[in-house]
Amino acid sequence: MKVITAYCNLSADECLLNGDVVARRDAGSEDSWFKQIYRQQGLGYPKFYKMDGLSQAGYLASELIKKASPGISNTYTDDEIALVFANASSSAETDRRFMQTYEAGGSPSPSLFVYTLPNIVLGEIAIANKWYGENMFAVLPKFAPGFYLDYGQILLGSGSRALLCGWLEVTANTTDVFLFLVEERESGTEFNTENLLHLSQATSVATF
Amino acid sequence: MDSLKQDLKKQIIEQLNLEDLSVEDIADDALLFNDQGLGLDSIDALELIVLLEKYHGIQLTNPEEGKEAFKSINTMAEYINKRKAA
Repeated sequence: MKVITAYCNLSADECLLNGDVVARRDAGSEDSWFKQIYRQQGLGYPKFYKMDGLSQAGYLASELIKKASPGISNTYTDDEIALVFANASSSAETDRRFMQTYEAGGSPSPSLFVYTLPNIVLGEIAIANKWYGENMFAVLPKFAPGFYLDYGQILLGSGSRALLCGWLEVTANTTDVFLFLVEERESGTEFNTENLLHLSQATSVATF
Repeated sequence: MDSLKQDLKKQIIEQLNLEDLSVEDIADDALLFNDQGLGLDSIDALELIVLLEKYHGIQLTNPEEGKEAFKSINTMAEYINKRKAA
């Protein structure tokens, strides 16, 4: 059966891996929230600093998923892990910033321009891991489990053996990130609508 | 020279939109185009060419010169000083 073997939730002030808090935002820090996680997790990938918020969030959550499932890079060949991501705001945040670079009288910034598509985050994750499998980024009105289930079924029936899926909504006012890994197992948290809805809403008890 | 290097770091952060980086994060000898350094790529090389002209009035037209000049903050500072002295 297809099961969710790891998942990561990232909100504006906390980061959870498999339901456990792995980082909390330090409001007094001069570092951005994503930089705080990057440092706390001891990650060493300087390209992180070049990424826009969407790509930083996807990179961080995928690295955390790998920490929870360290075997994924050895278990699958480089084209057997498919990436299936979605969000509602596309790359609007970076689009706006890019627009400002030339509207403010300067010149368009090439380093921002390269992030003016939402699927760039998939490329960043693929490059960081040397994964060459299928990938898709959809822009949807809201988190829709059916999208991952339907498209995932097609991918798993056509050569992919694992899915790294994600809802990645990152704007100036919103950080709503949910990444999850789907693999074949004899038992576990089944890859279905109910579980996806439940896990996507995971927050720490301490926040209530 | 040291103040030029500090300025260069600030300008790189500004020009390349590296808001998450601080001047202290960039070592003078860190390789700019290496994954262990800043991990810059060809798009960023364009930005560095623009930076040289915008902040230092230097036009870089020879790609071979750029290859050497953009190795690190140290080599960028040396290149700027050399061009200004010429």
